[in-house]
Amino acid sequence: MSPPPALRRSPQPKPLMFLFRTFILRRLREEKVRSLATVLGVALGIAVVLAVQMANQSSVRSFETALEMVAGKTSLEIVGAGPGLREERLLELDWLEQFGQISPIIEGEARAQFPSGDREWLRILGVDILRDESFRDYRLVRFAGQSQSPGPREFLQLLSDPNAILLTQKLARRHGLDPDSSLDLDVGDRRETLTVRGLLLDKGPARALNGTFALMDIAAAQWLLGRLGRIDRVDLRLNPEFSIDQAEAAIAARLPADLTVQRPSRRGRQVEKMLEAFHFNLTALSHIALLVGLFLIYNTVSLSVITRRREVGILRAVGGSRRQVAGLFLAEAGLLATLGCALGILLGGGLARGALSLTSSTLDRLYIRSAAEPVPVGVEHLVLAFAVGIPLALLAALVPALEASRVAPTEAVRGFDRLESRYRLSWRQRWLPPILAVLAVGFACLDSVEGIPLFGYAACLATVFAVAFLVPAVLHVSGRAGSRLTRRWTGVEALLANANLSGSISRISISVAALAVSLSMLTAIAVMIGSFRETVQYWVQQTLQADLYLAPATRSNIYSKSSVSPEVVRQVAANPGVAAVDSFTSFTVDYQGRQALLGSGDFAVQLDRAGLLFKAPRDGRSAVRAAIGQDAAVVSESFALRHRKTVGDAVVLNTPRGQRAFRVAAVYYDYSSDQGIVVLDRSTFRKYYGDQPPRSLAVYLKEGLDPERVRSGILAGLPPQSRVFVHTNASLKREVLRIFDNTFTITYALEIIAVAVAILGVAATLITLILDRKPELALLRWTGAEQRQIRKMVVIEAALLGAISQGLGVAAGILLSLILIFVINVQSFGWTIQYHLPAGFLLQSSLLILLATALSGIYPAYRAGRVPPSREA
Amino acid sequence: MLRRRPGERFGPSRGPGKELRRRAKLPVWPRCRPRLLPAALLVPCLLATIGWSQTWRQANLGYRLQFPRDHASHPEYRIEWWYYTGNLADSSSRRFGFQLTFFRAGVRTRPENPSRWAVRDLFMAHLALSDLETGRFHFAERLNRAGPGWAGASTETYRVWNQSWEAGLDSDGRHRLRARDGDFGIDLVLEPGRQPLLHGRAGLSQKGSQEGNASHYYSLTRMPTRGSIRVDGREFEVAGSSWMDHEFGTSFLEQEQIGWDWFALQLDGGQDLMVFQLRRSDGRRDPNSSGTLLDASGKRQGLGRSDFSLEPVRTWRSPHSGARYPIQWRLSLPRRGLSLTVTAAQPDQELRTRWSTGVTYWEGAVVVTGTRGTDPVSGRGYLEMTGYAGQSMGDVFR
Repeated sequence: MSPPPALRRSPQPKPLMFLFRTFILRRLREEKVRSLATVLGVALGIAVVLAVQMANQSSVRSFETALEMVAGKTSLEIVGAGPGLREERLLELDWLEQFGQISPIIEGEARAQFPSGDREWLRILGVDILRDESFRDYRLVRFAGQSQSPGPREFLQLLSDPNAILLTQKLARRHGLDPDSSLDLDVGDRRETLTVRGLLLDKGPARALNGTFALMDIAAAQWLLGRLGRIDRVDLRLNPEFSIDQAEAAIAARLPADLTVQRPSRRGRQVEKMLEAFHFNLTALSHIALLVGLFLIYNTVSLSVITRRREVGILRAVGGSRRQVAGLFLAEAGLLATLGCALGILLGGGLARGALSLTSSTLDRLYIRSAAEPVPVGVEHLVLAFAVGIPLALLAALVPALEASRVAPTEAVRGFDRLESRYRLSWRQRWLPPILAVLAVGFACLDSVEGIPLFGYAACLATVFAVAFLVPAVLHVSGRAGSRLTRRWTGVEALLANANLSGSISRISISVAALAVSLSMLTAIAVMIGSFRETVQYWVQQTLQADLYLAPATRSNIYSKSSVSPEVVRQVAANPGVAAVDSFTSFTVDYQGRQALLGSGDFAVQLDRAGLLFKAPRDGRSAVRAAIGQDAAVVSESFALRHRKTVGDAVVLNTPRGQRAFRVAAVYYDYSSDQGIVVLDRSTFRKYYGDQPPRSLAVYLKEGLDPERVRSGILAGLPPQSRVFVHTNASLKREVLRIFDNTFTITYALEIIAVAVAILGVAATLITLILDRKPELALLRWTGAEQRQIRKMVVIEAALLGAISQGLGVAAGILLSLILIFVINVQSFGWTIQYHLPAGFLLQSSLLILLATALSGIYPAYRAGRVPPSREA
Repeated sequence: MLRRRPGERFGPSRGPGKELRRRAKLPVWPRCRPRLLPAALLVPCLLATIGWSQTWRQANLGYRLQFPRDHASHPEYRIEWWYYTGNLADSSSRRFGFQLTFFRAGVRTRPENPSRWAVRDLFMAHLALSDLETGRFHFAERLNRAGPGWAGASTETYRVWNQSWEAGLDSDGRHRLRARDGDFGIDLVLEPGRQPLLHGRAGLSQKGSQEGNASHYYSLTRMPTRGSIRVDGREFEVAGSSWMDHEFGTSFLEQEQIGWDWFALQLDGGQDLMVFQLRRSDGRRDPNSSGTLLDASGKRQGLGRSDFSLEPVRTWRSPHSGARYPIQWRLSLPRRGLSLTVTAAQPDQELRTRWSTGVTYWEGAVVVTGTRGTDPVSGRGYLEMTGYAGQSMGDVFR
């Protein structure tokens, strides 16, 4: 078939451009609201993905940059098996001189209290300043902004003054501090006053952590941080003739068994690994919004195709090729996606800040203190946005575009398919849902990939698509049921609304699917969080049995190195109301390249008084009792899962006395660390690691005493410079749940954005439907329908869509929550969660969704109401 | 360990007026011994920082030096050093000069910080090697606090160390020196040789006009030496003769002294000679310039300022620092009939140490020729020259 002359003569060089302008652009302009909603949907999806990506990067990167800056010219470092190593061990390391220079390091944290009342956390680096000069670049600020390397005078001042500290110029400016002013620091469980002996210029390590870096002499740092006799690690700067690989191997071969040589970046990788699961899950969540945004593109293009079959037919009749037709619709998707991505990048930069502030408190509480600055939007983010957004959008548009290309010229011109008299399920809709469901079950049974629940998410995705493909069938069934119901029980508006919906199943099914999918994720996450919360609450109830808990005020998470000083322990023990004190100490260890917490408590006291919940063996209590005095450990569930250990297995730990195997006596439930905890009985711990200061105390009171009063008594008896938190049992439980709720704020935020995107989709669909149904509406008006009735009808349509989506969403969500709780959560965090359906929340959210979708119908209703009465159908 | 003997007081004997004078002058170490460069730099800074609140013991008459006891450390004094220099040669007469110095500079007698890293003393060490055949000069330094035992000086028996560098007595009473930095180093055994030569009055070397400004000072002037030297990755079995100085005290140099020239010479025929002159900012020789001569018979003669004269003959300009050093001197002791020409064994023996930025000094092997009466005499020794690198010591010590 040769094209008619008219088309041939159309602007020669760019016929496709011309078509695109007239066929797509004009239409997009006409339907501004729908186009805008689609663009906005994609933008939000991209923005959320970017924001989470950037927030994750910020926290890891801030740690790694700080690490790099503080490491300076350090090529390798030597770390011990315990918390640091005893300083005498340095003498055994004399031979390291042949490889290069060594510098012992103390690192710690303190919270600075500035005169203005502001507080900031400082990372304190304690070095032997006589040796460290060649490792790191320190420059002191001199008068009038001039800089200089610290000379003997400055160093000697630092050397001889046990309270001397150097701050960064940036920090000093922020808080109006001058050299020689005094600075209050909360360190461990007490307050100390130091003297600012100089300001570090924005160079070398002083650039790290947004200026919250402080330098001290090693002697002063040891004293301040309560680590007399110990150092944290030894930095080594290799002479230029050595390659790092060679030296690392040579040194490793010669080091005593309990010391390890590693690159400084290893600590960065550990942190990355520690945060990996947390970050991965956030990323996965963020993709839901993107997924919904893509549904929106699919929806828009499908609607475009469906409502314009006739035009497509004409185009084909006058000579447009199939390829051209498909290309036109793909171009539409491409245009919308490009705009959406561009807007998404702009939005993403802003959202990143929010995401960061929501996640950083969680990170501080559960993992590691981070002074994360949001990373700026970089080229990689632009690439990510466009490279992910546009191809996916094109992929989403491919199905409807191909469908459009298959429209036969004759069929369209005859105008057959404008009416969908009877809806028939396609093979896809018939067979895909069960196939996908089987796939989902299959995926759910597979193991994690290196601690990342890839298959768990694949199962979720399969479920989601199964639901999406099920939508037309559901709409079909619900339409029939609705027609019976509305005929008998409701007014004419609802009857018409229902009829309209069942009459345009193919048009609405995609937006319903999008909404249903996002709602199902919301439901699943709500169920998961609700179950988790119930579980934690139960666990807290059972486990926290002590009357009072005492910890240093600077202890922000369980990996914190802050400890309770001996005076405080003595004071507490001496209180007449106290019956028993159980101290818990812990430090992080490297267990097979991953951080774990090694802790110690008094098993006997724990068994007598605390209510540990054991996962295995059945009689955990007697197993633990039998483990006292043995080389045995009790491990947390997350440790057991992460490292595949069960009762009877050996956990090999690097101790100052060499490698030792500890038999797993029991596995207990714990929700405080997803990195895993290994607990040794006090006596066993002491045998291998020596005495370590306690990190926290659990205090049991004598019968019948009021914890609040004993608490006040203890606090009153402490020295004035003490800074400790004493929680009563009840207040600690509240605190645990508060932290818990805090942690999931971002989860909800991400979900709500996804739902908002989906609701945008519903609104856009309704508008299209109304435009499409203009003649119908005019006829209705002509037959006597009032504007009010028309509007009501449209709002009911919207609410019906919402109701169907939510119904489907809740049903699918409950399925998804099973995957989340029993697959994904177990694989990424290693926690057992008792299933619990938060009925109240589901009911509330359903009502809210109904309301929100009804509201989204208001604008389409207004548009529909404005259609003038007319007889022409 | 602090040792207190009957009749001796710990701490400086001084009235309030004296203390004020001291503070106002910001006195600089060492009036007695110009050698202690880094310590000289660090200690006054410390004084400015922490004030004169310490109770260091002053060098006074009545302390009898005993050996080997007094080779060991005297931590109750602020400043102490052990100083070895020597001229060595291998079997094929390839000649080397070496210098190994250990310094201890007290910072606080009793630091309040209980940490082992708290600084009571700073320990410094300099190692230099002159390869007289190639004309190359190697030097290195160490600076440490005691910490867990990285550096120290024992009080019981003589042993002083700084990282892997060390000096001390072995079971046969010989001095063992070991120090290595990268591709050069020394490993030597030194016989004590002659009796210790006590300088000043029975080993109390009076330095200033004020009483108490003095130090305990003795030398082992001619120590038969054997061992190995490593340079440029090659080992040389060497033998020769070394000189050791040991000095401890608590007094300080004056500001107007801009530099000094110090000589330790071993003459053929058994005479050993130490002399130094202090150069003042007005260009004159300081009245406290002095020396000691040890005769072949073991007779010791103190030399006052008027007993010797020193005259630069030839200078060399260091390409590294630009400083101009007299590398040839005419030294005459007219009353002893000695007329000597002291010439640097090679021009470049300049040390530029990290810790004394701008304080760069020359310390090196020298060759001696001349006459004793009418007889020709020759010898070898070491020469130290400071204050030539453009900066007045007085300014630096501020």
